[in-house]
Amino acid sequence: MASREIELSALPQTSDPPRGRLSEFIGRLIYPFLRGEPPKPRPATGFYTDTTVCIGCKACEVACKQWNQLPSDGFNWSGNSYDNTAELSATSWRHVKFIEQFSDESSGKRASVGVAPSESDHNRWLMMSDVCKHCLAAPCHQACPTGAIIHNEFENVYIQADICNGCSCCIAACPFGVITRDSVGGHSHKCTLCYDRQRDGLEPACAKACPTQSIHFGPVDELREQARKRVEELHQRGVPQAYLYGDAASDTYSELHSFYLLVDRPSVYGLPDNPFNPWLHMMGDYVRSIAGGLAAIAALFVVVFLLRS
Amino acid sequence: MPRESGYAHLLVTKVPGWHGLIAWDALLNGMATGLFMAAAVSELAAPAVFIPVAKVAYPVALVLLLVDLALLVSDLGDPLRFHHMLRVFKPRSPMSVGTWCLSIFSLPLTAAAALSLLAEMGIDFEWARILAVVLGLLPGFGSAAYKGVLLSTNAQPGWKDARWMGGYLTNSALLMGCAELLVLSALMGQTQATTILRIAFIVLLVLNAIPLGLLFANLRPAHARLYTRKQQWCVGALIFAAGTLIPLDLTLLNGGLLFIVGAVIFLLLVSWVIRFVYVKIPHTSPLEIRSGE
Repeated sequence: MASREIELSALPQTSDPPRGRLSEFIGRLIYPFLRGEPPKPRPATGFYTDTTVCIGCKACEVACKQWNQLPSDGFNWSGNSYDNTAELSATSWRHVKFIEQFSDESSGKRASVGVAPSESDHNRWLMMSDVCKHCLAAPCHQACPTGAIIHNEFENVYIQADICNGCSCCIAACPFGVITRDSVGGHSHKCTLCYDRQRDGLEPACAKACPTQSIHFGPVDELREQARKRVEELHQRGVPQAYLYGDAASDTYSELHSFYLLVDRPSVYGLPDNPFNPWLHMMGDYVRSIAGGLAAIAALFVVVFLLRS
Repeated sequence: MPRESGYAHLLVTKVPGWHGLIAWDALLNGMATGLFMAAAVSELAAPAVFIPVAKVAYPVALVLLLVDLALLVSDLGDPLRFHHMLRVFKPRSPMSVGTWCLSIFSLPLTAAAALSLLAEMGIDFEWARILAVVLGLLPGFGSAAYKGVLLSTNAQPGWKDARWMGGYLTNSALLMGCAELLVLSALMGQTQATTILRIAFIVLLVLNAIPLGLLFANLRPAHARLYTRKQQWCVGALIFAAGTLIPLDLTLLNGGLLFIVGAVIFLLLVSWVIRFVYVKIPHTSPLEIRSGE
């Protein structure tokens, strides 16, 4: 729980040498400016989530919480199907979404065995395990003024928790609503794509736990190939609405290193239909900002200069 | 047809915890940088007229900046890590650009303020003071210009469409700076400076209506989602009347201290309201959600 986090962080670590207040203060000042040797780049990794085989078991949520030692969010009935996690947050890095698509007239009916369903009886559940999209050109990474958010050697978007100062720029920048600030420490947190496990050659906890292989982990190029084959297969099997979301760059957004196979509009799953990178507007905004200021300075200068005598 | 379900009706983005403090920060940032720049431009254009009032303006601008910085730091999730902002310089991060501009700007501003106060005590380093003023112009301008870009370069509903936020905020900073300088000169009994600044204030007030109008046009879709047509008209008319027409009338009507102070109070009040309304946009629920309350 949150209070446990405070207790644990207050405990002296056996590896910490004893320090006076002044040395602790100086250490705190200098620490963020120290740089280590950057690791060598490795092949880009990511997730491909096939929502057509997700069964909503939430094993990924549990595995993520367990491996990353994330505290409980408490339990609240959301009233939205089986989704009581509600959203991705600083303490929930996986979120299984449930979408019930049932027509009103058929909600009380039972399906008859051996009878082909008509169009109006075509009722279904959609389920999807949501996570950070690990965007190639990530707005959170661009916004971060401390350099806490980096692309690590696996090209995953990673927040260095010891550097983040909780300015919230990343929260404002993320078009997918992934990042939030932890109310205890005041820092931003999100999926690390199990960086620690990857460094040891293991797959992320959520992918390992997924019983239906809805969550695939691996080199992004291989995942894309695998996903495209699956879409073709689904088309052949009579699911023409299957498509990939985020596997390729659009005019307004980069490709995602965590992409999805969907069978309905992105907004139904709580994803933006057309994600837009806010940085595409930045230069124009700077130009307007500077123009607005220069116009005022010029007006002031002209009035003062002309009327000075 | 299947019932519309799922997450389509929910906002995808998360709202950053930027509340009233940020509205005050945006106001004080404009007041501090605007006062410095208005004083610097006036002093450099007509030294004989503006040196006395500029020497008072710099320490006032420094106090405003210190309060603004205190607000900025206290709004962080971990204020003790404020200095982490200075471990990198990222031109693509408006917050990083702003932090560096503010940090650099604080140095010449402090020097100009200190040298102005020393000059009052008879220890005059006029060349150094002028040098500090000149050196402060560029970072001061950057400090005023970054704020609007920071508040428009993001994914938040409303904010992401506010292409003229930066243009308005930077222009407004100069307007507020001119207004503050006008009050100081009127309080100090600097007749010629007051006469010139009164005209400059009127010109800037009219000029500022342009980026403000463009900003409102940018925000129309967001406002339409949040407020009824009547509410939009009321707020728009109120802002235009109290922020432009009343200050304009008061300044045109009479050059006396009371009228000037009244006009500037109206301007600052409305400037704060605009910033507050803007900051609140992502925090405000759409009409269809509120109607269920």
